[in-house]
Amino acid sequence: MRNVCVIAGGQSVWGARQASERDMFQEAGKAAFEENPAVTNKDIDGLIVGSAYTERCSFQTHLAPVVAESLGIRPVNICCRVELLCATGSSGIILADAMIRSGKADVVMVIGGEKLFTPQRWEVNYSELASVDHDWDGTQGLGLPPPVFSAVAQQHMKLYGTTEEQLAMVSVKNRRNGLNNKKGQYQEAITLEQAMNARAIVRPMKLFDCCPVTDGAAAIILAAEEKAKYLTDKPLVYIRGTGQATLHNMSANMRNWSTWESLRIAAKQAYAKAGVTAKDVNVAQTHDCFTISEIIETEDLGFCEKGEGGPFVQAGQSDFGGQVPINTDGGLLSCGHPFGATGIRQGIEIMHQLRGDAVRQVEGARIGLTHNLSGFIAAHTVLIYGRDLA
Amino acid sequence: MSIVEGKYSATMDMWPLQSKEMTRIHPFYDNLKEGRFTTTSCRDCGTRAFPPRVVCPECLSENLEYVDLPLKGKVLIVTEEEVGVPVGFETPLIHAMIELDDQLTVFARVMNCKMGDLKEGDEVKLVVYPVDPLPVDGKKGAINLQERVFYAFEKA
Repeated sequence: MRNVCVIAGGQSVWGARQASERDMFQEAGKAAFEENPAVTNKDIDGLIVGSAYTERCSFQTHLAPVVAESLGIRPVNICCRVELLCATGSSGIILADAMIRSGKADVVMVIGGEKLFTPQRWEVNYSELASVDHDWDGTQGLGLPPPVFSAVAQQHMKLYGTTEEQLAMVSVKNRRNGLNNKKGQYQEAITLEQAMNARAIVRPMKLFDCCPVTDGAAAIILAAEEKAKYLTDKPLVYIRGTGQATLHNMSANMRNWSTWESLRIAAKQAYAKAGVTAKDVNVAQTHDCFTISEIIETEDLGFCEKGEGGPFVQAGQSDFGGQVPINTDGGLLSCGHPFGATGIRQGIEIMHQLRGDAVRQVEGARIGLTHNLSGFIAAHTVLIYGRDLA
Repeated sequence: MSIVEGKYSATMDMWPLQSKEMTRIHPFYDNLKEGRFTTTSCRDCGTRAFPPRVVCPECLSENLEYVDLPLKGKVLIVTEEEVGVPVGFETPLIHAMIELDDQLTVFARVMNCKMGDLKEGDEVKLVVYPVDPLPVDGKKGAINLQERVFYAFEKA
């Protein structure tokens, strides 16, 4: 089996964009090629395109050839679309990694994006009814996920004593991390008081506990190690291990809301393949769609004991200078969350961190991790990147 | 005038198709119309699944029967959505994690309820209500409306 490296990555500006999905795919692809001028559209032999709402918000299905054509890519080994809602981008990277490792393709671009702002705002909330189990959870009005994560937070608070202040500390940290991220949706810090006094969405989830609605796209390029040596003069960043698990979809079949078993399984797979443990991770991008999510993720990824996620953020252990800086580019809470692009944005940030050229650099980072969850906390995806091979 | 005026669009339908022409689990909806909350149980391995299936998710048998679920349950967690609810729902949109029996916990909408009214430990009961009927193409341009229902819960 071959080794796989990340050789380039870039994204469009994220936010409420005056641009179409197709525009943003072109911006992200161009940004990835500009980030590493040694690799061009002519080098790509595989293209994986991620978008969750392309039919619902942008009319276009059969999206991958549209993106290939738009960017002048002529993929001769694979050209397809992947979709796993919020974990779309990272799932695309897992598939690209497997293809290159097995010899099916040599240089694969994984590009994901989403156009979520439609002419009338109600439409996205409506489309969300199809993201959960449409016939059984959507019908209960469970479209936008705040009620779900409110229930998760309440259960976590009851079981482990997690506080609203600890939730707020996650958004204060991630907003601060996103201050100088020119491609993120927000570049404004918030105070603990602002976070605590913000308007309620679904208590205890308040405005700053929830990631926003976002337009955007991101692209990353992976290559077999021997190709990568010719296609970049920057330090090589390896994909060391990947894992994904899904144990349920509908709410009624989620047994435990505050310990995410499928995340634990995905993490175990990824750590084992990478030959590392949670203690070895120097920097992580986890799925902070809500503040409580990041707290539970620090526990179930093994960065701290179960139930200690609140004290972990409070003690600064997930901040710069702590045990493992998390969401160093601002995370979903600052950058926003265009579903198809989020896992790719996380991979790009880890690439920069391991090369040593991140906007806010974790000094000496050698092992990086990304994590996504999707839908009704249904599927979890974990990737581990390394500056070195095992 | 819009070219789709008067047309039914499946992608914009927030309710499941319930008739026997459209789904093999139509007995669930037939039972619901009679006030019964049911699901499928496997005659071969005994697994009771929710939601209802056409194949047992445990042993893949198709030898299934409809069994009754409790109509009352106990509230474990309450959530109150104050803004941003999907079109078709009004604020506050209240959901609860409801323990129906020792095997099944549902996260469902609680209707006819004001902010602060519902608490952990409260008893709730099933409520069946009519939802948008389904317009189906008939012969010679006729549109046949099929009645549909759905369920939520309310304070017992």
